Amino acid sequence: MTDRTLPRDLLAQLIRHLRRRGVDYADVRCEHLLHESLVAEEGRVASISLSESAGVGVRVLVKGSWGFASTPHLTRARLWQAAHQAIELARASATVNRQPRPLTPVLPATARHASRFAIDPFTVPLAKKLDYLLWANTALLGPDAVKRATSHLDFFKKRKLFVSTEGAAIDQRIVESGAGLEVVVQHGADVQNRSYPNSHHGALAQAGFEYVKQLDLVGGAKTAQREALELLRAKPPRAGQTTIILDPTQVVMQLHESCGHPTELDRALGQELSYAGGSFMTPEHLGRLRYGSDQVTIVADATIPGGVGSFGFDDEGVPAQRVELIHQGKFVGYLNSRESAARIGLSASGGAMRAESWAVPPLVRMTNVNLEPGRATLEELCRGVKHGYLLSTNKSWSIDDRRLNFQFTTEIGWEIVDGKLGAIVKNPLYTGITPQFWGRCTGVGRREDWRLWGVPNCAKGEPMQLMHVGHGGSYARFDGVAIAPAK
Amino acid sequence: MIGATRLVNELARVVKRTRTDGISVCAHARTRRVFRFAYDAIHQGLAQEGVSVTVKVLADGRTGVASTDALDAASLTRCVATAREIARHWPPPDQLPALPVAYRLRTTQDYVPATARSTAADGAAALKRLFHLCKGAGAALAGSLVTGEDEFAVVNSTGVACYAGSTVAGAKLVTMYRQLSGYASGVTRHVKDLHLEQLLERSLRQSLHAKEPATVPLGAYEVILEPEAVAELISWMGYTAFGAKHLQERTSFLAGRMGEQVMDPQVTIYDDGNDPAALRLPFDFEGTPKQRVVLVDRGTAAGVVYDTTYGARFGEASTGHAMPADEVDGPLPLHLGMAPGATGRAELIRRCRRGLLIPRFHYVNGLLNPREALMTGLTREGTFLIEDGKVTRPVRTLRFTQSMLEAFGRVLGISRERELVADPSQELGCAVAPTVHLAAFHFTGRSEQ
Repeated sequence: MTDRTLPRDLLAQLIRHLRRRGVDYADVRCEHLLHESLVAEEGRVASISLSESAGVGVRVLVKGSWGFASTPHLTRARLWQAAHQAIELARASATVNRQPRPLTPVLPATARHASRFAIDPFTVPLAKKLDYLLWANTALLGPDAVKRATSHLDFFKKRKLFVSTEGAAIDQRIVESGAGLEVVVQHGADVQNRSYPNSHHGALAQAGFEYVKQLDLVGGAKTAQREALELLRAKPPRAGQTTIILDPTQVVMQLHESCGHPTELDRALGQELSYAGGSFMTPEHLGRLRYGSDQVTIVADATIPGGVGSFGFDDEGVPAQRVELIHQGKFVGYLNSRESAARIGLSASGGAMRAESWAVPPLVRMTNVNLEPGRATLEELCRGVKHGYLLSTNKSWSIDDRRLNFQFTTEIGWEIVDGKLGAIVKNPLYTGITPQFWGRCTGVGRREDWRLWGVPNCAKGEPMQLMHVGHGGSYARFDGVAIAPAK
Repeated sequence: MIGATRLVNELARVVKRTRTDGISVCAHARTRRVFRFAYDAIHQGLAQEGVSVTVKVLADGRTGVASTDALDAASLTRCVATAREIARHWPPPDQLPALPVAYRLRTTQDYVPATARSTAADGAAALKRLFHLCKGAGAALAGSLVTGEDEFAVVNSTGVACYAGSTVAGAKLVTMYRQLSGYASGVTRHVKDLHLEQLLERSLRQSLHAKEPATVPLGAYEVILEPEAVAELISWMGYTAFGAKHLQERTSFLAGRMGEQVMDPQVTIYDDGNDPAALRLPFDFEGTPKQRVVLVDRGTAAGVVYDTTYGARFGEASTGHAMPADEVDGPLPLHLGMAPGATGRAELIRRCRRGLLIPRFHYVNGLLNPREALMTGLTREGTFLIEDGKVTRPVRTLRFTQSMLEAFGRVLGISRERELVADPSQELGCAVAPTVHLAAFHFTGRSEQ
């Protein structure tokens, strides 16, 4: 199957078949996915690969219980078999479940949605992509201390048809482009690394090849190499309680772990307990919990052009929305689904059901979870800080099974002395408790410094699904944070 | 289940009809049936089937890789054409390593028809029984129950034709009672060996403890790490230190230390893809038979694993640890083991004057400083204080920040009993681990609201 030959008629017949089988509800997703990956290491091409995937996922609700089955075989017999398996699973679950699972209503849409791009990356000659990739990679090389130089380009194209027994018929096309690089340097026992433009696979956006050209990988490579070498000579931070400013690259991970995941309503209802745990933001706290200072407003916005968490409709046909999670420090909303929203008495889904591919059922996932900008420049945020640190680019991450105690290290930091940025520091580690930490947010940077990032590897579910999610943020300042050298 | 003959023949046809300097075709087919449940309701019932085929083409000193998830002739032809096109654009490297030659392996000894035949109704009935038992104990239950089949095959133009078929069954059970949670997991090839009621009993023992969880001071504690906790730590070592790429990049804690004492002499860590106690797979994604590789030998830095690419760079033969051709992390150990000791698990606890019993960790991250194997992570359900050789009371969640070279540098005992640890919903990666008693483990934070 290619994206031009999606079996629309077969899917329509399958929906009719499911109606005849007497399901309470069913939806069918047919997807065609392309991923091109180019990697260079040490001035040479290390890997070029193109992967293609296509198949159908059938989700049914029978007697108030869910069943899901998927197949890559797009024949009538195998699709009907998948439908039968899904119904069997739902019926089996219904012998256990005592409570039915009602869904919030949604207007069945007949719609098309396409992400914006100027240059289709899959039409750009491979030679041109390799030139750019190797040029950037070579810029990382030179000094003997460089032990690894990696650069990569990634391009994704997804075509998705969604049909449901309620009458929805939605056709979506998403194109994503991304790039990044990393240099690892060593002197004696000290090994340091710097990434550009961000760690966690660089930068990724719903965009075309024009996006990676704008990233200036070559300029970024030179900066990354220089900073990595400086880190070998740098001192670690002083341990203690101090003021830290996170730059937008680290705000990404802080949002992801301490706000995005705990506001997933399925997690808050216990549905991830056997894998990555639960959430301290349980439904009784909704509208009551003081999550952060009044500087903190966090939204889940699936409507932002360019965000890898954006779409026209989620994977149960709910239109993309902008949902406030935290309003001026107060916990006001969840990422949710039709079922989970109904369970806590909400009248409508916030539209956050997303599946990695046709092979797996949708889960409540982050869309683009963003810290709304404030008004301060970086200079203004630094002003008045007697001694503190500006921290950039996530290196390690860990948070407990209720999303309270977190610990992050970043690739690099800069000392702040008497309101001015000073020397580079290496191996900075900071830790905190989520609501206490966000409660100590004393300033958020201006819109001009706000940037939207893509994270391509958000893990959740069994079988594990890796989702592309977005995070936007500017600089953010926090007082009284525990910082130490990672050693 | 596609079957050995059909899967190998399909790949062989692709190899035969492709005129090029070399071609290797690797396939992984799988099915999974997964129930997930929380608070006495099943919220996910899933059945999936899929196949992934990766084609690597060698032509004029260049290589191209493409993959598809279909086995039909048209898809495979398109996949080969894509790989050839990619190879055409590849700048020629100095020298490509040769494809492995003429290994022919075929095994279905780990394929258990009873596991493959288990139905949705079987799974639901088993869960209904667990819910009933749990309710009787006054506790709530969450978790997952998995069965599935895996088939791996590699065929290449230099005579390799390998196939392995297997099944897997596993469960994770979290029980909750008031403020306490318990946890138990199991994984096996034969669904009949998955003793769900024993797992439930183990989890309930933790969550039904009479005492409330205690807040203990931060600092260094003796710890008794049970197999799942040990497995997670050595798996992170595998990911950051035991592959040849990590050695080349000097990020491995073994780099520059081969032959030196890096851990306590009681510690031996190895990788063995043929270990019947593991979820074994006798060949890698290039079709090279897996060798047993000792990584840490009685505390001494001993070795890393290789594929053909990194073997050629180091002047070593591949040890059979190649990953799929479209991955760039280099060779990795997927069947780790820690050698058993001579002491019973119960005796390890009896010998501990004051320490923590830890069944598993949560969210370990080993990227803080891989050269020193510095890791952080948290305790989770089932962590208990040990006082005077007795398990006395549950302990609230703690964060550790610890160099594993230091922690495994002072070992007070290793159990003779070992357990297989793996996530049955994933197809790759497992460890066979004992319970380990360490002299000092540093706890640097706690979870509190």
